[in-house]
Amino acid sequence: MNFGASDMHHGFLLCSVLLISAIVARGAESASPRDDHSQNEWTIEHVVASLKEERESSMSFVETTYSSLLTEPLIARGVLRFLPPSTLEKEVLTPYRERYLIEGDRVTFESERKHIKRTISLEDYPALRSFVEAFRASLTGDAVRLKQTYETRLDGDRRKWWLLLRPHESEGKSMVDQILLSGSEGRIGTITVRSPDGDRSVMTLSRGNLP
Amino acid sequence: MKSRWWIPVLWLIVMVGGIWFLITRLSIHNDLGDLLPQGSTWTQRLLLSQVRTGLSGRLILLALEGESPDELARVSKLLGESLRDNDRIGLVGNGMQTWSKEEQALLSKFRYLLSPTLTADTFSESSLRQALGLRLDDLRSPLAPILKLSIPADPTGEVLGILQSWAGWNGPEKYRGVWMSADRTMALLVVETRASGFDADVQESIHQLIRTSFEVVTKGTRVPLRLLMSGPSVFAIEIQRTIEEEVWWLSVVAGTLVFMFLFLSYRSLQLVLLSMIPISSGVVVGMIAVNGWFGFVHGITLGFGITLLGMVDDYPIHLFSHMTPGSSAPAVMRTIWPTMRMGIGTTAIGFSSLLFAGYPALAQLGLLALVGLLTAALVTRWVLPFCIGQGFAPREIRPGPLTDGSWLAKGGVLLPIMLSFAIVALIWSDTPLWEQDLGNLTPLSSEQKELDHRLRQGVGAPDLRDVLVIEELTEEGLLQKTEIVAKRLEELRIGGTIAGYDSVSRYLPSRRRQQERQQALPDAATLAKNLAAAQKDLPFASGLFDPFLTDVEAARSQKHLDREVFAGTMLGIKLESLMFSHQGRWVAVVPLRGVADRREFAAKVTGWGDMAIGYMDLKEESNRLMMAYRDRTLQLLGWGTIAIALALLLGLRSITLLWRVLAPIVCSLIVVVAVLRGSGEPLSLFHVATFLLVVGLGLDYALFLNRPEGTKAEQIRTYFGLLVCSTTTILVFGVLACSRIPVLHAIGLTAAFGSFCCLLFASLMARREVHVA
Repeated sequence: MNFGASDMHHGFLLCSVLLISAIVARGAESASPRDDHSQNEWTIEHVVASLKEERESSMSFVETTYSSLLTEPLIARGVLRFLPPSTLEKEVLTPYRERYLIEGDRVTFESERKHIKRTISLEDYPALRSFVEAFRASLTGDAVRLKQTYETRLDGDRRKWWLLLRPHESEGKSMVDQILLSGSEGRIGTITVRSPDGDRSVMTLSRGNLP
Repeated sequence: MKSRWWIPVLWLIVMVGGIWFLITRLSIHNDLGDLLPQGSTWTQRLLLSQVRTGLSGRLILLALEGESPDELARVSKLLGESLRDNDRIGLVGNGMQTWSKEEQALLSKFRYLLSPTLTADTFSESSLRQALGLRLDDLRSPLAPILKLSIPADPTGEVLGILQSWAGWNGPEKYRGVWMSADRTMALLVVETRASGFDADVQESIHQLIRTSFEVVTKGTRVPLRLLMSGPSVFAIEIQRTIEEEVWWLSVVAGTLVFMFLFLSYRSLQLVLLSMIPISSGVVVGMIAVNGWFGFVHGITLGFGITLLGMVDDYPIHLFSHMTPGSSAPAVMRTIWPTMRMGIGTTAIGFSSLLFAGYPALAQLGLLALVGLLTAALVTRWVLPFCIGQGFAPREIRPGPLTDGSWLAKGGVLLPIMLSFAIVALIWSDTPLWEQDLGNLTPLSSEQKELDHRLRQGVGAPDLRDVLVIEELTEEGLLQKTEIVAKRLEELRIGGTIAGYDSVSRYLPSRRRQQERQQALPDAATLAKNLAAAQKDLPFASGLFDPFLTDVEAARSQKHLDREVFAGTMLGIKLESLMFSHQGRWVAVVPLRGVADRREFAAKVTGWGDMAIGYMDLKEESNRLMMAYRDRTLQLLGWGTIAIALALLLGLRSITLLWRVLAPIVCSLIVVVAVLRGSGEPLSLFHVATFLLVVGLGLDYALFLNRPEGTKAEQIRTYFGLLVCSTTTILVFGVLACSRIPVLHAIGLTAAFGSFCCLLFASLMARREVHVA
């Protein structure tokens, strides 16, 4: 399959979304449990450890997109899934059906309305690769590598927290300005992805499948 | 007797002049394309020109192996970058990029002329509304930041549609952004050179460049990475190198053996050196003749031609063998000359048949052999005797068990026995008589062929076996025809008859088709009206699609797309291989993939009823070509034999003698063919060409054996001479038969065994009453 340079950016954003959902779903597997109990301070390590503890294999989402091309926001609903060890999936159910699946190195994109099914390599571009690897490292409890890829800032406390991620790499920066996760203890409430041109999407998560 | 001291001096001057001429003027070509036949049909000529200059010949397949996938990917990227910088290399594919920025810009500019899905309905209110709905999906998707860029100008998604239709083949799997074999043990790259695949010197320098680049990028790597290369040009150079190496060491071994054998036979260094005079003269004059006639001498002609000329070494041996202490060399020469002359004349007839084979390689070989033979004969007759000092004679030959001929009487039964065995072997052998597959004649090892197959499959490069060839008088006519053909092929693809195809119509629509598309574009007012209606209730910002309206309006009167637009891009190179002008006609080549049933497919193509569309199985076609030349050579061999027989009849004036000369040769050929077949070796063009040599040798032996000779001693000398001749031949060609190169092996085995049989049979059938007298 042939992909132009722009596909790298597609993939980049796609991965941000998917991998964040992976964090949501999975948390940091090997983060030490003792962090849960050594309290007072609320750190990224704590966030990651709590996420892992309260992880579920699937969550439903509502995503609202704000774009400069539009006069009003668009809304999509669907499910995020995680299958250990490395399969991540975002499935849009309404108002159209679309699926993004990352299995190892491969990203499969499937759209019912566009009659498309295609596969690209997640590893197609160096920037993407380091990006993904950092995420994978964090999924296996390596918070250090998460910090290597993103400039991180954590606000709030255990009951209500905000985690702001900004990519270090210039390739990442051209697509994603910042990612803001908000949540409470081991649950993520919203993920906001803002692109450099000001467009943004806000994904609100809830446990269980859609009604 | 008058002293003729000036003759050797004159010869020496001429030789020095000749060698000087060769050193300054000789042009040796190594381009294998020069040796390929021209082809007798238009299709064959096209095929051959494609082989010479076509894309398939210019591809080099590379693989990196011996490291972890990550390291392979890293090196593949570095190697790709380093090779892309070189202007001798047209393209490097390793999975990193498919369409360049320029190509994407061109694509976007010409999207309304290129889009395969565009119809008048594309711009109707309902279609537009549907398209806009999809664009909303795009904005909701995670890919929105990129997709949104093209939405204002291309809301109907034509660029995406074109890219999808262009993605003709799915490349290999990728890992870390580069092509990798499924098991991830090899990173795969494809290099396309600008020079023709048969331009051996340039190709070799490119191979060297690739190796050097590889060494540079892997410098400091601890684990040894391996670079594997394959492709037609790699093969061609490999073959050439193998041949050069083999010919060199085979010549050294054969030369040493012959030198030692001659020295042992005559115990005289002087004679051994003298025996080289005719052959060296023959080689020099033969090369001058080939260079003068063809403008160049091919390296391979040189190697094989000298081998073929090895038989002229028999002439000085005859002279030496007939000399006695009391005789003078010129006098001996005069007595044996009539016999020798007949042998030379008839062999020349045999060699000249190669000239008419219509196959440049054989014609060069024929000319070299013919001129060399005649020169060597003349030198043996008019120069050599005068180089031998008066009264000089080789050691006295004592009758031995082999030379006295007494065993021949008892060996009479040998001939019928051998013939019967041969005929039984010919009838019962299940080896096919003729080599049908050209591929078996290449000196490539099976590992190399296996590697090529693996890389080709890995990269998904077409093996260019099945193609459709479409011809038309004009470029536009051709493009229109390929559009019709592509439509039919698409049906066959859906039906499963073929797995895929690549057609120029996909990248370059005909003017007519472009015009149709332009006519399908609505005028500004209609489009604005439809768009406004389609956009109703959808949350798109107002004025968002103004670029779309502008672009469609511009496309309505846009200059048509042609080949020049793509010049200098990768797509341009692709187009060149899919469509070109050949001998005043326009030709499109449509490579096919996965033809399930070739006969069925051929029948379907014939069913289209268009003579200008031809299906070719290139493998079959090139085999057929080679077989046509083989048959022609065989035919010429037949005519040559008849001419030889007539010449002999004129010279010998006796049917009995003619029988005694020709029958052993025919029997020898039968036995040789039987032995080859019995050993599981099908015959090829090269065996057939070597039969000529066997005929030449056989004539020489038989004529000398049937020469009226006065004394027993003289007859013993004849036998001795012929034994020496035959043994040298068997030594030279026996060494050749040990070669790994199928062609050299074929020539060697045929000639060595043929020489043995000819001497044996000619001795058995020679008249015996003479030595009774």
